[in-house]
Amino acid sequence: MYRSRISSRLSIGGLLVGLILAGSTVWSDETCNSPYMSGLIKGQEDFIHVWTLGEKGLGNGSDKLVTIDVNPSSTTYGKVIGSVSVGARGEAHHMGFTDDRKYLWAGGLDDSKIYVFDVGSNPGKPRVVRTITDLPTKSGFIGPHTFYALPGRVLIGNLSNNTDKGGVTGLAMYNNKGAFIAKYDIPTGTVGGVKGDGYGYDIAVNPAKNVMLTSSFTGWTNYMRSLNDVVKDPEAMKHFGSTVVVWDLKSMKPTQVLSVPGAPLEIRWALAPGQNWAVTAAALTSKIWLIKQNPAGTWAAKEVATIGEPSKIPLPVDISITADGKGLWVNTFMDGVTHYFDLSDPEHPQETYQKHTGRQVNMVSQSWDGKRVYITSSLLSKWDKSGADNEQVLRGYRWDGHALTNSFEVDFTKEQLGRPHHMKFTAKPAAQVAFVDHAK
Amino acid sequence: MSALSLKALAVAAGILGVPAAALPAVDPGVAVAPRIEFTPPRPGTYRLQKIQPATDATLLDPSGRPVRLSADTTGKITLLTFFYTYCADPIGCPLAYRTLLDVRAGVGRVAGLEQRVRFLSVSLDPTIDTPAAIGNYRDMVSEDSTLEWDVLTARSVRDLLPVLEDFGQDVSVEQAADGSARRTVHHMLKMFLIDHTGMVREIYTLAFLQPEVILNDIETLYLEEKPRASRSRRPDHLRSKIQAQID
Repeated sequence: MYRSRISSRLSIGGLLVGLILAGSTVWSDETCNSPYMSGLIKGQEDFIHVWTLGEKGLGNGSDKLVTIDVNPSSTTYGKVIGSVSVGARGEAHHMGFTDDRKYLWAGGLDDSKIYVFDVGSNPGKPRVVRTITDLPTKSGFIGPHTFYALPGRVLIGNLSNNTDKGGVTGLAMYNNKGAFIAKYDIPTGTVGGVKGDGYGYDIAVNPAKNVMLTSSFTGWTNYMRSLNDVVKDPEAMKHFGSTVVVWDLKSMKPTQVLSVPGAPLEIRWALAPGQNWAVTAAALTSKIWLIKQNPAGTWAAKEVATIGEPSKIPLPVDISITADGKGLWVNTFMDGVTHYFDLSDPEHPQETYQKHTGRQVNMVSQSWDGKRVYITSSLLSKWDKSGADNEQVLRGYRWDGHALTNSFEVDFTKEQLGRPHHMKFTAKPAAQVAFVDHAK
Repeated sequence: MSALSLKALAVAAGILGVPAAALPAVDPGVAVAPRIEFTPPRPGTYRLQKIQPATDATLLDPSGRPVRLSADTTGKITLLTFFYTYCADPIGCPLAYRTLLDVRAGVGRVAGLEQRVRFLSVSLDPTIDTPAAIGNYRDMVSEDSTLEWDVLTARSVRDLLPVLEDFGQDVSVEQAADGSARRTVHHMLKMFLIDHTGMVREIYTLAFLQPEVILNDIETLYLEEKPRASRSRRPDHLRSKIQAQID
């Protein structure tokens, strides 16, 4: 299974020759939240909050949290009902709730700032209550990507470091009040017989197994550079992640490095009780990988499916697993296709549906019941397509198990908002119950 | 199950005369009891993070006297739980109670540990959980055990809210018709492990509510208390090895 890091990188570089534009990733939907988070929305979500990259010359040009009414019974269904600008353009990318789902942490991949939005007091009107700026100085890491709720804490998966701005990075832990607690390096040495590359991206925890998985992408020098330049630079193409790390969550120590070539991005655990596997998609090789526990208790990674035609570089980005673990949505950025895979047999995923959902598509989020699917377009400011292909939208769909039907669309360019990236859902609190406003 | 446990669960399940209207909502974000499909790392082979200082406040003891919360969160390793005496959520308070009983039994099996550990239960509903009510609860939970188990309540929801806010205990406030705070509604089960200096070192939500893990964490904090480490049940050579890893 294990292939050398060098050979896999060379093959990745070969695949990408001639590629003009491509993308990165994220995690988002209701089925991929931290298992430590309370208040999963298992009915109709009321709002979608979209962490949106500011674009120079468009509106105020700043990154902003855009709130969209997505309750079909509302008079403002499918409309932008609010926008909170953070007053800077720092490469807005991903977000994550705190364990109480009342605060949304949103990071900038370029400026490494983290904005904490209060979405609990009034979900329809988020507001910034804190800005965390000490990630680089406290941890040495930059590019905060994944925000993963642990009890009373947020674990941040980073993409880069503030020394050479390459891909070697780690995890930073903060408490919910925004105070730095600890840092954990992604391993660069050999763990379990496989050499680590030190790269980071997503975080996913299975509490019943005491296992945390982290995946690997690339550093600031690549993700903040034009993709056209990156793919033409053989040296740059060597610097993409090719590992998934298995951690003992309790001790926060790596126990295995798994070889997963091609920049494995989002990781999704099967959510049903008793399941012992997760999946990830390798962006550059267009493969779905299964990460499963062996009878002996160790973990193994196995390539189980191909997404689209790898020679055409579809570039799978975000994935979203269904609540029962039997289906997987996959967006491919370059061809703008949303794919559905039947995961009933995770060893042999089968693509059963696909739909062209945009000129470029990145994030895909689904409701807990799987009946609603949302997609956004932007990948990274310097990796998005250009000209007419630079479509910047959020599209809502209904899913009846057979086909996606468009239900609304928000054009973020027309609305002067920017590039829509990560989505998170909120719901109005129950009547007669007022949430405690921790920020006051 | 022992008679004590049955009695405790009966109290926790709210079948000893608590008005039906007082029963809280079921936690909305949880579905199943925690599973543990792994062997937890041994005590002392890992370090618990220093998450945040435990907050301080003036609360009430079972006799109705004002007491400082910090007096109950320092000096010993403290396992703090917010609770209702009448909670009926099957995967809320009763589960927490069963977990505490399991942990207490484990603590009792480690030589010298019981004197270094305290359980602390703070009521989430000072309206119904009066000093007299928590006194009954304390008497019940302390029966047949020498482990210190203190129970506190507050004068009012208003007095309690800053404590909950600082710990990050997720609740919402049920409002009376006049808009005043009537009672809290528990949204997420949490336990807080606090070291002898008053620093929160671990927080257990439902997915983490694993008695074996909690016991190992308590022992890990116990091993940090160097002068007291000699009381450990562990053989000297193993204790030295563990202490070296901590150092």
